Amino acid sequence: MSARRFRWSAAAWLALAPLLPAAAPAEEWRLGDLGLVAAGEVDGATAIGDDGHFNDSDYFRSELSRLRLRLTTAVFLGSRVALLGELRSDDLAAPSVYALYLRVRPWEERSLHVQAGMIPPVFGAFARRTYASDNPLIGLPLAYQYLTSVSAQGVAESADDLGRSRGWGSRPRLEIRARDSLSGLPLVDALRWDTGVQLTLGSRPLQLAAAVTRGSPSHPVVRDDNDGRQLAARLAIQPGPGFVVGLSAARGAYLSRDVRALLPEPAAGREFRQSALGVDLELSRGYWLFRAEGIWSAWETPVVAAPEIDSPLEARAVSVEGRYRFVPGMYAAVRFDRLVFDRVQGSGRWFTWDAPVSRLEAGVGLSLRRNLVVKASYQHNWRDPPVYGYSGAPVRSDGIVATQLSFWF
Amino acid sequence: MRSGRAPGACLALLAATAAAQPPDRGAAIRGHVDVRLEIRSLQRRPDVGALGMPGERGTPNRAQTVVYFETAPQAAFGEPPPGRVQMDQRRETFEPYALPVMVGTSVAFPNSDPVFHNVFSLSSPKRFDLGRYAAGQSKSVRFDRPGIVRVFCDIHSHMSAYILVFAHRFFAATDESGRYSIEGVPPGRYTLVAWTDGKERARRSVEVSDAASAVQVDFVIE
Repeated sequence: MSARRFRWSAAAWLALAPLLPAAAPAEEWRLGDLGLVAAGEVDGATAIGDDGHFNDSDYFRSELSRLRLRLTTAVFLGSRVALLGELRSDDLAAPSVYALYLRVRPWEERSLHVQAGMIPPVFGAFARRTYASDNPLIGLPLAYQYLTSVSAQGVAESADDLGRSRGWGSRPRLEIRARDSLSGLPLVDALRWDTGVQLTLGSRPLQLAAAVTRGSPSHPVVRDDNDGRQLAARLAIQPGPGFVVGLSAARGAYLSRDVRALLPEPAAGREFRQSALGVDLELSRGYWLFRAEGIWSAWETPVVAAPEIDSPLEARAVSVEGRYRFVPGMYAAVRFDRLVFDRVQGSGRWFTWDAPVSRLEAGVGLSLRRNLVVKASYQHNWRDPPVYGYSGAPVRSDGIVATQLSFWF
Repeated sequence: MRSGRAPGACLALLAATAAAQPPDRGAAIRGHVDVRLEIRSLQRRPDVGALGMPGERGTPNRAQTVVYFETAPQAAFGEPPPGRVQMDQRRETFEPYALPVMVGTSVAFPNSDPVFHNVFSLSSPKRFDLGRYAAGQSKSVRFDRPGIVRVFCDIHSHMSAYILVFAHRFFAATDESGRYSIEGVPPGRYTLVAWTDGKERARRSVEVSDAASAVQVDFVIE
């Protein structure tokens, strides 16, 4: 852990400490006739390990070492219209708006909602339970957080160039780049919201959500950076209580126009899209909760130089998670993740275009109060070895001990 | 009054209480509780995209008040508990919102909704977790220590209720119109406490004479 990270982690715990004795039963906060409702969460996590940047969710930002404050508000404008938003601050930085959208329910008697603005994610299951209080562990599933060497601001010139970035998703070394420091993309970004319009129809046993937005599953945006549109949909089927099956699909442009401007024609003039399919499952009964999710993603990528990249670049992820509550207020949880990539042909050899990764995380959570949870976990990550001949191999195996304190209000 | 403490406090004052009477004798203390204060609803756990999108759910009667004796006749502590009572889970709401019971009572938590519920409490008088169970099923908890037990659903964070566990039988919860009745009160001087939504809100002294059949005690809670 770097000195900077340690400083922020210490600050996180110190900032949370005064809240502990004041963690009163949370009550809904309404302000006058506006019907303003606010809720929020503060969570601080600190970790020892992760020299391989397995948990980075952005350029040098780890999901295991940070302080996050989220404040969600809803202003009710009558019974059928609400304005919702979320402010977020990471590591005590100035707060940013991560969600701001209008929700309209045209008919009281029908379960139909229209949402417009920076809207909640449609694709997959995990993206809608990113609050620490909804995550039994501290880390996130690989598909939603692990940075691949695909970037929205950079492009590999050739298959060999792509091979040099295997395992370096937090800092891909791509030759064609629109900015100096690049970050890779996860299969699905769980931490940022996209901008557009969403329609949700039904509740149980069938619910359909569909959205038209500006970004893609791996690259949600506020300001459009490529003139592309994303279509995303999820069908949730609930055959009975405690059993949900979800099917998701999305397709949207991910490569920014700044990078496309650096490409030769005809690549410069076309859109490069990400396609994704997902299936998720949740089963619960008694003290058990079981979740599984599988995601396939394919990124179209330009062909610039030999050895040519066989577009699209495909990746598949699977995540299996279980939680058991063994005494009131205390549980144990475990999650296994595997992320694999298709092969491309470089100069004289075949290799997967990014290094496959496995992750096993096991931990316990203790509710000190209903809204105050402390977690501890051990996470181990394995990454496949580098391609022979490419120097500067990333760390291949990392054992990480992490703790987290979360308080929602 | 803080969770887990107040009803148990009456145990310490046993020596000062009046002589015992069988529960079917004595006077009744009846009255009306007028709750005028604004009661905020329970905060939900933050949830991506779900805030402000309530489903089909009931509205708990948070103004429901429990009126009880701060101290009670000594023999009242030896009386057997009434056995089983019920706190239903219907339309994502616990019914009733406040349930007073005697020590030793078993409370059943039937699930009358088409979705799972998971009743739990982290209150010190009774920590329990009933796990997730479906519609038509019921699980029970026996309350063996006096105190206030705050009950939640682990799945639906807007659901909450109170169970007040007393060491005696001199308590009553108000009905929908705010009326209450405590029966079989032996002659003596008592302090009545009105408790609403997690707090002691008012207290009144009352004297029950030998000749009285009923005494009226009203509360206004502001």
